[in-house]
Amino acid sequence: MRNWKYIFIALVSIFFAQSVQAEEAAAKKLTYEERMKIIEDKFSAAAQEGKTVKGVAVEGNSLFNGTTSPQKNYEQPYSKEELRPAKFSAERNSKVFILTKDGTLYYPTPRKGESVSQSMNSPRIPRVLTEAQKKGPKLNTWATLVPLVGREVEVYGEVYPGYGGIKGVCIESIKFEGDPQFDK
Amino acid sequence: MAKQKIISLKSIFYTAVSLVWIFGLSAIGHIVMVLIEKNSPEIKFDFGKICFVVGFVTIYLTRFLKSDGWQSFVGILGGFGMWFSWEYSLMYAGERMGVTYAWNGSYPEYRMMQWSVIALVMVFTYLMYQESVRCNFIYFLRRKLRLMRGVVATGKIDNYGPRTAFEYIMVTWTFYVLLMIAYDEQLFGKESWFTYLVFFASFSVFFYLCYKLLGYDKFGANLKYSIPTVTILWNDVEILAKWGMLKEPWVHINWPIMSVIIGGFAVSTYLIINDLRKRKREAIESKDVI
Repeated sequence: MRNWKYIFIALVSIFFAQSVQAEEAAAKKLTYEERMKIIEDKFSAAAQEGKTVKGVAVEGNSLFNGTTSPQKNYEQPYSKEELRPAKFSAERNSKVFILTKDGTLYYPTPRKGESVSQSMNSPRIPRVLTEAQKKGPKLNTWATLVPLVGREVEVYGEVYPGYGGIKGVCIESIKFEGDPQFDK
Repeated sequence: MAKQKIISLKSIFYTAVSLVWIFGLSAIGHIVMVLIEKNSPEIKFDFGKICFVVGFVTIYLTRFLKSDGWQSFVGILGGFGMWFSWEYSLMYAGERMGVTYAWNGSYPEYRMMQWSVIALVMVFTYLMYQESVRCNFIYFLRRKLRLMRGVVATGKIDNYGPRTAFEYIMVTWTFYVLLMIAYDEQLFGKESWFTYLVFFASFSVFFYLCYKLLGYDKFGANLKYSIPTVTILWNDVEILAKWGMLKEPWVHINWPIMSVIIGGFAVSTYLIINDLRKRKREAIESKDVI
């Protein structure tokens, strides 16, 4: 057994390779384009039925401690001086909410029944592009909530009754104008 | 009188091939990550584990290689695999701890990597005083800062593989940390003077390093010194993308451009392997003559 270490290394490599193959086989395989098409179709159907949520992404800490009042002016929820710290807070993982024109707050949540979950500021959300955006310069086909603070967004997803007037929304897809990473 | 540097056609060829190979490797690494994230995100962490095992085994295997060229070539691949696994481990940590994207678009794994800066400095401090380290930049610092009591390292290096892997990891780590510090809007910011400084300094140093690279005419040395050269150029690529002036073909999956890069990588891989095999044959034949 002079070569036991090579056998061990080979077995470890095969083990990892197998686990990837097994997961791949288990996953229901749709191409990226097919998945995006389904997401877009669902979004536009929901938008036509008025089932999407349209509102401004607002930063929770400054809203709840009264440092900012994005609810007072839907068109311009933050002044230039307020927006920068609000974004810093959001990237430090304070919660981001969706505030609609009628004043309802939506708290982005994971899917119902998911008991261990992560902060919803982090995951990538598939982005639905408008026809004009598709024809223009290439944009990311996903977004996360932090760079969207202060921007109007339209989200599609299951809405939960929530608590104390604040509703939950499990965001499946999102639509917005511009490119938050580069817009000044 | 200043020494006249001899730049031969041969050294230009070795330099160009090495630069294309390292650049192609980095670009392919990026597009692989993007494609996994896009098409099969469920396998990404398993892929990271595989990269670790493959990287580790590859570095180990360099001990069986005799030539400096093969050791460096395989060592880079080993370092590349291990680097990949570190990025995936940080991605996993980011998900576990709920680290968000920055509002200027920086990814959670790199935001976390930024704060490994002190770990980086600690490792670098050790390297500055480690007698056997032959890095030109560290030599320069030792000389200028008068760090060493005695003479600097001499003697033969038996295996360049782990050294090259470590070089790849250290160089990549250093420049990621530097870029993340530059992009941090609470320190400098992507439009700050510091980012501009990094951009222009990287641009100038890239040409200087290319000139230095032209002094080598073997794949071992050329590949090793191409790592910092390409990584410094990569700073500019990253900064231009951050400014929105460049749509990286490996992020936005521009197949025509990627095909050229993958083609260049394939051709350069062929040329490197061909040359290393030829040198090996020549070495065996010359032994036979003796």
